[in-house]
Amino acid sequence: MSGAAPPVLRRVVTQAVIDAYAAASGDHNPIHVDPAFARSGPYGRTIAHGLMTLAFAGQMLNRWSDGRFDAEGEIEVAFVGPVFAGDEVEVFGELQGPADAPGLTLSVGCRVGTRVVLAGTARMPRA
Amino acid sequence: MPTFRAYADVQIGDVCPPTPARFAVTQAIADAFRAATLDDEPNPSAAPSMLAAVYLIQVLQSRGSPPGGVHAKQSVRFHRRLAVGDVLLTSGTVTDKFWRKERPYVVMAFETRDAQGALVASGVTTSIWGAAA
Repeated sequence: MSGAAPPVLRRVVTQAVIDAYAAASGDHNPIHVDPAFARSGPYGRTIAHGLMTLAFAGQMLNRWSDGRFDAEGEIEVAFVGPVFAGDEVEVFGELQGPADAPGLTLSVGCRVGTRVVLAGTARMPRA
Repeated sequence: MPTFRAYADVQIGDVCPPTPARFAVTQAIADAFRAATLDDEPNPSAAPSMLAAVYLIQVLQSRGSPPGGVHAKQSVRFHRRLAVGDVLLTSGTVTDKFWRKERPYVVMAFETRDAQGALVASGVTTSIWGAAA
């Protein structure tokens, strides 16, 4: 890991990806997997699981920290917008706080184009 | 057929589920999660920490929210690395409920421990309750 911000991670979400995540996670909430149900909901179509978007953020943090995020990290996020089938999600992070702080703090987010869909903060020990 | 609960029936202090949910981390589950989250990590020896999203679902579903609910916020802290072979026990407690912008929210704190009782993960989930049952 360098002292620089984590490289942006990109993931393309399709309905097949959403369906695969539902199968892997056991979360078959129809707002994610049932287009007919989702049409009558607040978004008018299916949306990706928020925890899947969070998993993308975890991947970025874990790679950047050589696994320290998985071992001792923490993250707090708000799901501020929906991710739809066909969206490309960009995960980004930026170091926060003083360089001599005992741990690392990053602002973390996910966006689709210019639309932010997840925003939060992650922390982990230094190497 | 799942049993759904009305938002009015959710009480602060509710423990979900009544006894901790058991989850065994297997290689197959870890591999399926990696594939489903498009994780092409070249060294997939350990189970991804975000597998929390899977074992947490059991706890979230035990609350009985009707279909259509969505995640609003999530915090999670990992106390140690997850490993294939781990047996996890997760319990949740409703710590708050409130309305905001005409939407019903439920806040639940959770703890996940291993078979020896050591803390593996902890955090807080804030959800918008599903449409009335």
